[in-house]
Amino acid sequence: MLEYSRCKSVGVQRQGEDRRVVSGVLEDELYAMACEISVDWPSLTIESVQTRMKRFTTGRCPRAKDVFTRAEGWKIDSELDGKIKKEIGRYGCRHMAILMVDCCRALARAELARELKAALENTPDLDRRSFVEDFHQRYPDLRGYLQLR
Amino acid sequence: MILDFQMNNLTTVEALEKGLWRITQRSDDNLFSIEVTLDVKGPALDIRRAVLDVKRDVLGLASDLTPLSEKLVGVRVGPGMTKIVRGVIGGPDGSNRAAELVLEAMEMLVNSITVPELRKAAAMAGVPYRAEDDGPKVFVNDVVIEDDMVRKMAGNPRLKDSCAAFRDL
Repeated sequence: MLEYSRCKSVGVQRQGEDRRVVSGVLEDELYAMACEISVDWPSLTIESVQTRMKRFTTGRCPRAKDVFTRAEGWKIDSELDGKIKKEIGRYGCRHMAILMVDCCRALARAELARELKAALENTPDLDRRSFVEDFHQRYPDLRGYLQLR
Repeated sequence: MILDFQMNNLTTVEALEKGLWRITQRSDDNLFSIEVTLDVKGPALDIRRAVLDVKRDVLGLASDLTPLSEKLVGVRVGPGMTKIVRGVIGGPDGSNRAAELVLEAMEMLVNSITVPELRKAAAMAGVPYRAEDDGPKVFVNDVVIEDDMVRKMAGNPRLKDSCAAFRDL
């Protein structure tokens, strides 16, 4: 018998040269929430965070909303997960923090996927390991962040 | 705007028999797809079987996770699991991504076990609630557990400090 189920879905879009937008939803038996984050590219800086706590268990949960915008101005780098979990998870909502971590990582992976797709069109037998290394050299802040494997 | 990247993640917790759960987590994005399966036995909540199956790896960077997944057998869902799982599955020779998914799968078992307690509390001490940004036509959240009960529940070791709502009470 199914006792618990959690679904998370994240989508990334490119809005012009210098803006990336990611939206995420989380839904399980206990919680439902959504967030949208816009990031300046290539500075990798979080510009805006918009959230909605849809379903939760206690009256204290929606107070977390005040904490979520602390992420505005943070950079996407190897420190980001820790900052989100510590600042937003600890003082706001750990479930929203998990969703925001997933959203930011998907946004960064999307950039690599986008560039890989373009590179494969020109060079079908592309050396993918070299491609990843080249990507990391262009975006050194993402080297410890992407978790590609 | 049309999306050019998606990540979907589904975790299910299923009771195979009384005190034996199977947690299955499938994570998919444009570059990578993996399925994590954990069988966990109560009352110790120790992992009896673990399978980490990479379904798709566009970049070709994933290593065989079978030897690492075998090391998960015996690890308990509970305090200290984060450090243990990251040590066993993560790191330069492992997969940090798989480690985080395993931890999330383990956390979903904790959530699953917690649901009956929260359901009982909501039935006993639920108060009508309408959030400011809910509605205006459909209200998703109609009841929350009232503060006195939240304080009482925060005394439960399983819930204490489990999230911001049960912290500093």
